[in-house]
Amino acid sequence: MKYTKNILLFLSIIGPGIITASIDNDASGITTYSVAGARYGYFLLWTLIPITIALIVVQEMAARMGVITGKGLSDLIRENYGVRITFFMMIVLLAANFGTTTANFAGWAASMEIFSLSKYIMVPIGAFSIWLLVIRGSYRVVERVLLIACLLYFGYVLSGFMAAPKWSEVIQSTVIPRVKLEPQFIMLTIAIIGTTITPWMQFYLQSSIAEKGIKKEDYRISKLDVVIGCLITNIIAFFIIVTCATTLFPHNIRINEASEAAIALKPFAGQYATTLFAVTLANASILGAIIVPLATAYYICEAMGWEAGVNKSFKEAPQFMWIYTVLIVVSALLVLIPGAPLILLMVLSSFLNGILLPFVLIFALSLVNNKRIMGKYTNPKGYNYISWGTVVVLITLTTALLIMSVAPFKN
Amino acid sequence: MPLFGELFVSEILRKSVLDPMGDDLGRVKDFIVVKGEPLPRVSALILEKKKDIYRLGWEHIGIFNKRIISARVYTSKIKPYEFSEDDLLIVRDILDKQIVDANGAKVVRVNDVKLEGINSNACLTAVDVGMRGIMRRLGIERRGEDLYRVFGKSLPQTLIRWNYIQPLEPRLTTISLTVPRQMVSALHPADIADIISKVSHEEGVALFEGLDPDVAAEALHELQPDVQKAIIQSLDKDFASDIVERMPPDEAADVLGNLPSEKAKEILESMEKGEAQDIQELLGHEEDTAGGLMTNEFIAYPPELPVMDVIEKFKIDAHDVEIVYYIYIIDENKKLIGVTSLKEILLSSPNVPLSEIMETKLKTVTPDTDQDDVAEIISKYNLLAIPVVDTNGVLLGIVTIDDIMDILLPPLSKKRRKRV
Repeated sequence: MKYTKNILLFLSIIGPGIITASIDNDASGITTYSVAGARYGYFLLWTLIPITIALIVVQEMAARMGVITGKGLSDLIRENYGVRITFFMMIVLLAANFGTTTANFAGWAASMEIFSLSKYIMVPIGAFSIWLLVIRGSYRVVERVLLIACLLYFGYVLSGFMAAPKWSEVIQSTVIPRVKLEPQFIMLTIAIIGTTITPWMQFYLQSSIAEKGIKKEDYRISKLDVVIGCLITNIIAFFIIVTCATTLFPHNIRINEASEAAIALKPFAGQYATTLFAVTLANASILGAIIVPLATAYYICEAMGWEAGVNKSFKEAPQFMWIYTVLIVVSALLVLIPGAPLILLMVLSSFLNGILLPFVLIFALSLVNNKRIMGKYTNPKGYNYISWGTVVVLITLTTALLIMSVAPFKN
Repeated sequence: MPLFGELFVSEILRKSVLDPMGDDLGRVKDFIVVKGEPLPRVSALILEKKKDIYRLGWEHIGIFNKRIISARVYTSKIKPYEFSEDDLLIVRDILDKQIVDANGAKVVRVNDVKLEGINSNACLTAVDVGMRGIMRRLGIERRGEDLYRVFGKSLPQTLIRWNYIQPLEPRLTTISLTVPRQMVSALHPADIADIISKVSHEEGVALFEGLDPDVAAEALHELQPDVQKAIIQSLDKDFASDIVERMPPDEAADVLGNLPSEKAKEILESMEKGEAQDIQELLGHEEDTAGGLMTNEFIAYPPELPVMDVIEKFKIDAHDVEIVYYIYIIDENKKLIGVTSLKEILLSSPNVPLSEIMETKLKTVTPDTDQDDVAEIISKYNLLAIPVVDTNGVLLGIVTIDDIMDILLPPLSKKRRKRV
């Protein structure tokens, strides 16, 4: 009896962490992991362990703030650091998420082309349906469906096994860190971190936990939810790398896109692997394209005190509706315009994310240590060393990425 | 008279305060506000100079306007200050926080605070919740105006008078705000539900507890199930049962049905016996059937009762009943034998017994009829309510059209509308 009760309680609280984790593996995430696997084989696998730890550290703080304050991160930043800082952060977040949305539409277009469906038809259909979702207000239903579709991610686990890697080698590479001192290697390492630990995800997780109204007493369950979510994210990443590393790396096939990976898999892992890879990419892309613009519009409006809500009209909530609409329309158009500088845009977007991340993390840390806000739930002293350590390492690495993307090394 | 006219807090924040010799005392960091009649007023400025914090009492201020703030005292006279939770500070406690605009029935954010000189005091008269306030804070109010002019519009002033504001955090209640409490209670319960669903859980509970119990009961019904559950669980047991008692039994059953069984039992136990029994009966039915929708409050009389007696009895009985358009006629075994409408009663002569005016061709449903079928029957025969009877024809309750409307067109506040 007690067990059933515990399980029910657990099920009522889990969700936000796992959902955030699933959305975290969006089109750009899948691309980065595929490219890393194809380019360096099992070499980069070990980085996933420190990344998982860092991810858990930063997300746990967001989750804790959500539970204790019942407020989102953008609300807390606005209330404690004023309108000026909030405003500029939101501008950068908007620009960065604009890039993320475009990346997701590009992922959607590419995966549709694998099935020989023209992007000139599928992208407008996708964009319009997404936009309509908000107008019709049935977004929750679709989110559920897509999240169930996220179970497809386990297709990557399957394809990892199908690729029949040398497990001893895989395990060795996972636990023993190896470094290659070449710029591309370092860049890919940082890119993996950058695509896994993103600013908007901190906002998303905290809001969804705050909205769920989880009680302080149940916080430890929420924490478990976050840990499970982070593990899932990285297990999926692990198998994507393993798949591409086993099949593409030995044949020296270099790719730049997740969709290329899907096609390249065909001769080595069969038609099913290609289909699986493409379907999952399509799902991840469309899920990202739904949630990123919507979440962006929400955080901005809440921080600025503007009316927001999925069943509001343009007249009632003009800023919300316009931000949302423009994000979708412009991103979709950019994907369709031949010769649009998509790559540049993505680089710019990860650049902005790189600028934003240190601020978000430092704000998060100082908020989480503020007794007026968190009461007795501030970071314990020892834990603070770990979080500051993590944040400093992340900031150093993203700064390095920023420098490298501004002045790219030629190899 | 230190302040004439009006100014915004953002216009003097971080401004230097000068002593009589023109030396810098420090920069304005915050304002302490105290209760005043009729409006709260600034009682002191908090100054910051090289990380040290000082308190400069309002009585020591000489000039106070957008351009110059000067004190009548020297550095040696002003006292160091330590931030205390007992003080109400404009920047710390009001600026950038969410408040309820009791007039517009929505949650807004304070972008700026307006001070006005009244009887030589700087009184807090209004808060700015609009675009102009944001631009002023960013220091681009002028450019904003220009930009709006390009589009042929003017940048609107969106001020809310202090009288119309309801603070969300209980901490702010140190300033008396009795009027807004009543104003919030006067809002439509659906609007209150909307506001509650937009703020954090604790603020929602604080707001809810301040409501008049009858209004609270209606607002609770309008809330989305998750929020409803969270709020009820945070309330004091007696307050919770008081509110549930005030709800019509079918709505009360919906609320209790959502709660963990122990909590529901606790509330039922502290309620009045009769009410609790009504609710318990309703709780036994499946949620999406006629039994789950029905209320067991209705008006039913024996067939031999003459119309004039019906009217007298009706005046007593109708107080506690939500929907009174139909009067049901039951025999001694409580079996439903007829129905008549309020209109029919009022138009009939006083001595006619109910049996002569009642309609006997009845549309009824049973407790396990699916809610969609109930909706269909109500819609097909244009009814305002439909009786629910058991297999022996005994009248158990009625399903009213507003319950059906809630299924067909759920109220906005019941849909998810907050964040993603």
